Amino acid sequence: MSTKRMLAAASLLVAVAMISTGCGGSSSGSSSTSSGPTEVKIGIGAPLTAGATALGQGMVRGAELAIEQANASSTVTAAGLKFTPVSGDDQGDPKTGVTVANTFASDPALVGVMGHLNSGVSIPASKVYADKKIVMISPASTNPALTQQGLSNVFRVCTTDAVQGPAAADFATKLLGFKSVYVVDDSTPYGEGLAKAFADQFTANGGKVVGTAKTSDKDSDFNALVTKMKSTNPDFIYYGGVYNAGALLAKQAKDGGIKGPLMGGDGLYDPQFIALAGAAEAEGDFATSVGLPIDKLPAGQDFLTAYNKKYPGQAPAAYDAYSYDAANVIIAAVVEAAKSVGADKVVSPAGRDEIIKDVAATNMVGVTGPIAFDKNGDTTNKAITLYTVSGGKWITKALPQ
Amino acid sequence: MQLANLILAQLINGITLGSLYALIALGYTLVYGILLMINFAHSELFMSGAFVGLGVMTLLTSSSIAQKFPVLAPAQAFFTGSNVGVFFMLMIVFLVSMLVVGIMGVIIERFAYRPLRHAPRLAPLISAVGVSLFLQNAVLLWVSAQQIPFPNPIGNGIAFTIGTVDVSVLKVIIFVTAIVLLVALDTFISHSRFGKAMRATSQDREAAGLMGIDINFSIMLAFFIGPALGAVAGIFNGMYYGSIVFNMGFLPGLKAFTAAVLGGIGNLRGAMLGGFVLGIAESLASGFISTGYKDVIAFAILILVLIFRPGGLLGESVVEKV
Repeated sequence: MSTKRMLAAASLLVAVAMISTGCGGSSSGSSSTSSGPTEVKIGIGAPLTAGATALGQGMVRGAELAIEQANASSTVTAAGLKFTPVSGDDQGDPKTGVTVANTFASDPALVGVMGHLNSGVSIPASKVYADKKIVMISPASTNPALTQQGLSNVFRVCTTDAVQGPAAADFATKLLGFKSVYVVDDSTPYGEGLAKAFADQFTANGGKVVGTAKTSDKDSDFNALVTKMKSTNPDFIYYGGVYNAGALLAKQAKDGGIKGPLMGGDGLYDPQFIALAGAAEAEGDFATSVGLPIDKLPAGQDFLTAYNKKYPGQAPAAYDAYSYDAANVIIAAVVEAAKSVGADKVVSPAGRDEIIKDVAATNMVGVTGPIAFDKNGDTTNKAITLYTVSGGKWITKALPQ
Repeated sequence: MQLANLILAQLINGITLGSLYALIALGYTLVYGILLMINFAHSELFMSGAFVGLGVMTLLTSSSIAQKFPVLAPAQAFFTGSNVGVFFMLMIVFLVSMLVVGIMGVIIERFAYRPLRHAPRLAPLISAVGVSLFLQNAVLLWVSAQQIPFPNPIGNGIAFTIGTVDVSVLKVIIFVTAIVLLVALDTFISHSRFGKAMRATSQDREAAGLMGIDINFSIMLAFFIGPALGAVAGIFNGMYYGSIVFNMGFLPGLKAFTAAVLGGIGNLRGAMLGGFVLGIAESLASGFISTGYKDVIAFAILILVLIFRPGGLLGESVVEKV
């Protein structure tokens, strides 16, 4: 009898302990007004177990670094705040993304989301956040449609495909002297939008599109496509899509005897592209990416030092620095809002309005360059850099023109 | 002439793809033939084969492992040094992977399907889906969610050229290996003692048991051979496309299942035929219609065949027993 009671009490204790630690102390959040700082959660929405996981996991690293530094800084503690990252795995899939968005939106302490990676996920997720007045800053979704929905809570720190595609076409014709191209996209909003923006400008520059193909972002067999492409003998292939399928296309194209390089957008700009395609096959391939190279920027070096300290042996993926900046924009806005409405009210509807207003008014210098938003929520920093694979590494080929 | 070359090149792509589908399809058809059950975990066994193969290959060739365990260095030098070495290395990779995955198949049968053998048909089906999810998530947790590059020790050498179409050594090896394995299995099933026992079991499990056939052993054998052939396809899949990932089994698994149904599920030669038909249709579709439509066309063929020949290409229409 007594042992049974002991057992019950013990299991109850264990359960309580598990709940309070496992959920990151969700019970303490808004209710603890007098003692300790107010906990504010920042959602990180990214593909972690499927899709472009190297980019997604990089986003988590970048944002968590920003949050860790913020919690250690005096401005945040003086404002009476403590930030907690909550990551959600959207698997690069719109349906899963909406589920993640709803989970984030149901948490009363969550006021901002750093994400998502894929435009196809960001667009439906942004509507869920709009309903709860959660500010969303994407570090990586480049489809122009995202910020053209008329939602006041949606921002991004990367420039759009409407800028990136034409810039890539200009590099291809003016700098690299290419005349014919085979355009392939992965049928996602990102890939299609980028490939179309590229093809339009390439044709306008006098280049010739010798063929186009639609594939899926889950394809791994491109042999039939390569055979078809080979007969049109293009100077190079332009691929709208991310590295996991893009690297296989690059590899199979080289194996199949296509001489020209593969070029793509920011979705290819990741060390994993080279690892998957093979250093020899990827040699000479190109990718454009948003902004200036991190190591060329004054604050970039500090970021890389802090990054290497927290994640030894890890190279930043394409969007780690953008995620770091996006998280910092949210943090700065929450701190501002805490000053005007009070730390205990930041998670209230008034606080949320204030945060969105403060993000829109952002004017700061991040590690990726100056950050400010236009009336749609797009970054005013429109630089595009060209990178190429050389000796198994991405190197800067040309700075923004 | 140009068009003829293009068709030929796509046919060769299709035959290579078809070889992979045929190898996986046999696993579905063997299990269905003997148990009238679809082993939905088969696509994950195919994936496991690729991962085990990569593990063994890394052990036999990776220089970082040789630095940690200098004992392995001379063997590694042999395995990477010459064509003969590469051949032996690949033999070991394939055999170990086939063995491991075959045993995995047997274990799955023993613990996930055998207890449900007399349950309604839906129960083992659900159990199979469960095993499939379990294997996917196990690999996700143990290895990673990332795609992993898969080396191709055979390289991109050209075996021969027809017209202007180059046929790579790897494609020839995939095709020849598939055909050899398919013929070997067909012979085994039709002529060996165990094969006859398996056929008897598939015809009438209870009567076969009464005749002194160890039906558990026959079923076990089907669950060993199918996954072992799937493992071969998994390793070739890695070498041919260059990378593997924990959820790589799903689409090829679905296609191979389609191939098995297309050929007439339960019929070994039908599975091979279905695999090749599907692979060739897919390649021609991506080459001449659109890459985006290849899956649509593959499944449209399945639907058409099932409308006009419900038993599949080589299947017999079974009269329902009353």
